Amino acid sequence: MAAVSATCVRFGTSLNQSTKLNQIAGTSTSLKPVAVGWARRGFPSLRTSHFRISCAAKPETVQKVCDIVRKQLALPAETELTPASKFSELGADSLDTVEIVMELEEAFSISVEEESSQNISSVQEAADLIDKLVQKKSEA
Amino acid sequence: MIFPVAHYLWLAALICVRCLLINSICISQVKRILLIFISECREVENIKKPFSPPREVHVQVTHSMPPPKVDLFKSLDDWAEKNILVHLKDVEKCWQASDYLPDPASEGFEEQVKELRERSKEIPDDYFVVLVGDMITEEALPTYQTMLNTLDGVRDETGASLTSWAVWTRAWTAEENRHGDLLNKYLYLSGRVDMRQIEKTIQYLIGSGMDPRTENSPYLGFIYTSFQERATFISHGNTARLAKEHGDMKLAQICGTIAADEKRHETAYTKIVEKLFEIDPNDTVLALADMMRKKISMPAHLMYDGQDDNLFENFSAVAQRLGVYTAKDYADILEFLVARWNVEKLTGLSGEGHKAQDYVCGLAPRIRRLEERAQGRAKQASTAPFSWIFGREILL
Repeated sequence: MAAVSATCVRFGTSLNQSTKLNQIAGTSTSLKPVAVGWARRGFPSLRTSHFRISCAAKPETVQKVCDIVRKQLALPAETELTPASKFSELGADSLDTVEIVMELEEAFSISVEEESSQNISSVQEAADLIDKLVQKKSEA
Repeated sequence: MIFPVAHYLWLAALICVRCLLINSICISQVKRILLIFISECREVENIKKPFSPPREVHVQVTHSMPPPKVDLFKSLDDWAEKNILVHLKDVEKCWQASDYLPDPASEGFEEQVKELRERSKEIPDDYFVVLVGDMITEEALPTYQTMLNTLDGVRDETGASLTSWAVWTRAWTAEENRHGDLLNKYLYLSGRVDMRQIEKTIQYLIGSGMDPRTENSPYLGFIYTSFQERATFISHGNTARLAKEHGDMKLAQICGTIAADEKRHETAYTKIVEKLFEIDPNDTVLALADMMRKKISMPAHLMYDGQDDNLFENFSAVAQRLGVYTAKDYADILEFLVARWNVEKLTGLSGEGHKAQDYVCGLAPRIRRLEERAQGRAKQASTAPFSWIFGREILL
């Protein structure tokens, strides 16, 4: 029983990621005109949601998230921590998750909205949201 | 009584994916956070068809206490008689609702009612929302007596069992019963609230019941009740204080009297758990950690008035705002109990027991820190209508 559910979880995760990849692939053609826009206007206004989704989180962001998660959950060094790692699988309860999000907010000087926070259940999701919010902040 | 006080669980956790669809009512993020954590609101399912009360969606675990432990409670019957039943009050010496209400048999009845209504006019709607929520919680007493009778080893097997535990449960229920009666009559006479909506809410709530996740274990059960009694003591104490501030001394006295009962009950329940820590520290600390991880759920969290799918959440938000029962109170209660039961000094614990001890001892500071940070954020003002006060809007 446990084996089956573990498989399901993993499957779900990879499905998520492949969906994201599809979205990235799907919008690749639309990047060209935007790229031209960059040359002219400098930093583009990142208003299209396509563009936002197509930006997978920076490796530094992912690393920082991993560090914070590792510290919050007091994970031993041997525990593998990947972008796909789900907080709940790492043993985080709801209080841990809130504390993680608050640590991330402080570390990146961002504010996570209620609706977005519901989607943070893994390192990757956290990192993606952080980069999105950081970009939004720099636009403002 | 323990449960009545709206256990406005405040601390919220941004929980990853739960069943609850909290609808679009915009409570500020802070409040939502605070509520969700402890409130278990998230674990309640709002059925998609309209006008249905919420129900529990977590798997309902039963009989998690191993059978040999049941005998432990039977062997404590004598101890309970000498140490717990003493906290009950002789009926002849007990207050009754009539002591605090206009006397219908007297000449001055109508005048007394008039005075009561004059005083009530000076009390704002948001206070009444909280008082009504408390009263509804108290009135769902059948659920709480049921809950006590789900506990292995201490349940009232016949309805008139003579074990000390059964005697306690019935007498406790009888004492609590006065709380709902008194508040009900007061609210009825005040004319400030929509009694029909309130009555409907009570009917829904008793029909919904609740699962405090005590799994038929008196270890979990009495830890839960200890927490709840203290919570109600604090909450009624606050409504008493606020009533005084609004100039209604009689209402203040009512709430204060109820609070005093709760305190006495808290003393009894914490004594039981203290005994359990004495004879079985490992399992008791594991039980405490388990209840705290599951979060102490509010007795009235399934409340529904036929209109508002977020009724409990909204009510809790108001209770938090008025300072009647807050996230800080939750942390304070936990801290109080940890000290009361000397959890830090427990010895002879297993590895799991130590982990549980660490978790429990470290939890209150974490909750406080969370609450402080949440408080420091900008809050969006939002309101919600409450059918209990004729649909008027209240700031959450």
